[in-house]
Amino acid sequence: MYAYTEFDRHFVHQRAAQYRDQLQRNLAGQLNDDDFRPLRLQNGWYIQRHAPMLRIAVPYGELNSTQMRALARIARDFDRGYGHFTTRQNLQFNWIPLVQSADVMEALADVNMHGIQTSGNCIRNITSDCFAGVAADEIVDPRPYCEILRQWSTLHPEFAFLPRKFKIAVSGAREDRAAIHWHDIGLQLLKNDAGEVGMKVLVGGGMGRTPIIGTVAHDFLPWQQMLVFIEAVVRVYNRYGRRDNLYKARIKILVKAEGQKFIDDVNEEFKNILERDLDGSAHIITQAELDRVSAHFKLPKGVLPQASRTPSLQAPRDATPAFKRWLERNVHAHQLAGYRAVTLSLKRAGQAPGDATDVQMNLAADLADRYSAGELRVSHDQNLVLPWVRESDLPALYEAARAASFATPNIGFLTDMIACPGGDFCGLANARSIPIAAAINERFDDLDELYDIGDIDLHISGCINSCGHHHSGHIGILGVDKDGSEWYQVTLGGSDGSALSETAVPGKVIGPSFAADEVPDVIEAVIDTYRDRRAANEKFIDTVKRVGLDPFKTAANAQRRSTAHAA
Amino acid sequence: MKFIDTPRDRWHTINGEDGPMVTLTPAPYSLLTLSQWHGVRSQWPADMPVGVLLANDVDIEELADDLPRLAVVALQFPKWIDGRAYSQAHLLRSRYRFAGQVRATGEVLVDMLPLLKRTGFDAVVLRADQSIDAAERALRFFPGHYQGDVHDGRPLFARPPGEVNTSAEEFVNAGASI
Repeated sequence: MYAYTEFDRHFVHQRAAQYRDQLQRNLAGQLNDDDFRPLRLQNGWYIQRHAPMLRIAVPYGELNSTQMRALARIARDFDRGYGHFTTRQNLQFNWIPLVQSADVMEALADVNMHGIQTSGNCIRNITSDCFAGVAADEIVDPRPYCEILRQWSTLHPEFAFLPRKFKIAVSGAREDRAAIHWHDIGLQLLKNDAGEVGMKVLVGGGMGRTPIIGTVAHDFLPWQQMLVFIEAVVRVYNRYGRRDNLYKARIKILVKAEGQKFIDDVNEEFKNILERDLDGSAHIITQAELDRVSAHFKLPKGVLPQASRTPSLQAPRDATPAFKRWLERNVHAHQLAGYRAVTLSLKRAGQAPGDATDVQMNLAADLADRYSAGELRVSHDQNLVLPWVRESDLPALYEAARAASFATPNIGFLTDMIACPGGDFCGLANARSIPIAAAINERFDDLDELYDIGDIDLHISGCINSCGHHHSGHIGILGVDKDGSEWYQVTLGGSDGSALSETAVPGKVIGPSFAADEVPDVIEAVIDTYRDRRAANEKFIDTVKRVGLDPFKTAANAQRRSTAHAA
Repeated sequence: MKFIDTPRDRWHTINGEDGPMVTLTPAPYSLLTLSQWHGVRSQWPADMPVGVLLANDVDIEELADDLPRLAVVALQFPKWIDGRAYSQAHLLRSRYRFAGQVRATGEVLVDMLPLLKRTGFDAVVLRADQSIDAAERALRFFPGHYQGDVHDGRPLFARPPGEVNTSAEEFVNAGASI
């Protein structure tokens, strides 16, 4: 993984020093709260329901065990002993007093971490495929491109105060595991017939109030031009993006409103930068720079490809059913012979999806050291991944993961749901997510049943900001507020763009909102309808596509009790 | 970075705001709105210093032909979190090679200084409650950056290794408090 240079190290320390200066001025009354707000946001500090929330950047989801231990320490020393991994591969803490925030930034800088641009109307932390560099279906390793983008976007002086937040996701595999169609910019790395690397550029995807899939702005942008093209996109957005209405300020609205004109403007700006600007081609990425950054992503020490590839993993004949299931669900194909990537499930009874305690973080760090060259990933689905596991270590890893409560063999199943922190923590939320997640988890606690239901994406957001990606769930649940109480809208048929459900598309609402206590029944009714209607070996999403929403609507609406009058 | 002390500043706006002002008589160091400028530019004496105060939703391209005649372009931050003027300044310097003063007006806060400097502003009118000391300190935290700017268009990766200060000592010397 990327190793910080001296420059990088001092840079994050200076960022911490700059933040301390701002915090001190705020505490001394020299920087008022309104003016301090955008400054702290760009360092990851929100003011939430109970205390500030800190969002720590995990660039493209890569962490080493030292960093994970530092996060555990921060959880223990400054928070209440746990953190929350997010769909954007970041980590959030919820209970740190603001007066201690500068100390935390310094502690993070000590392990080459920070909260730079994890919030605010700027270019946010770059996200990617959690299997980047190890995926069996990889075309191009996206990590060097992510790192080059991370550096370019960090404290970019022109683009720190855009109309709204700006999120970039990069995928380099055949399957899109980074939801690139749902981002302000999505990059799909490709190779042309000559074997040259380039990228498809999608612009203007996003969730929120108006879910929109990104538009193709370039079919094959040569990698060298990545920064210049993105500069052109962001400059056009900075100039023309709406600032009169918060809900229409994302680039997706501009792209939708302008259509081809937006693409034309970007192409003209791109040309102008290269042909007219002083040093306009200075940000063309050189082979030397790509090589320099790529060198960081060579195989970790101790990882040696085995002589022969095991075509499919066979559990020993005497293996327990639980281990077999774990192999099937939590262990993933790898590009190196003799290796596998392993998901540590953060979806288990009694804990909110994506949450981990300080003890669990330390255990994950230990597992990474013992079995994965000291490296971890945070997945878009809010789990942890060990990317470099030897096949021969799998039985031992399974036992260790089980002891640490990471071995629930539910990856890709209903209980492997995405959920935002919701109204229990978030100041924006209209409704709580965690109790809904817990109720569904409780309802579907039988593994045999989960296996029978099979692959399915359940996504829960506590409000229309869509941090829980409800739009892209095969089943989406959205918390809404009506007259001060919590209600939940259910959508079906959404897709994040991964292989399972193919083309990214927002789900469709199946009726008026349900009461909180109806939601588990509704989900059960929807699942039962699928089981009644499915053809042999048909996945949930395929049944929804084939039979349409009506049978699901009927079954769901039959569950209404308190909302019966509204149905 | 020049901190403008408004009472002592020789540049002055012409009240009456928008609309072509037929009565506007050319006077040195006038800072005109775009429409005022359009109304008088044909008869403005070549040697009389003039500047334009540009709204942040105007394309710099519209001013391109006039730039050689302008000593100051004042850009606006109606709210400090509205970042359009950063792009305008960047274009003035790097695309149109504007060599006159680029001035930040409106809601200008000390914490904007690093961004203002790097996008090409060389003068600021700070909001009344802001401290010049804090502004100067804000300029000293980062002796280097990843991406190029109007002062050096090259990103970090395009600069020779010895050229960038990376040692902690240099950072401290630059005025930062580690």
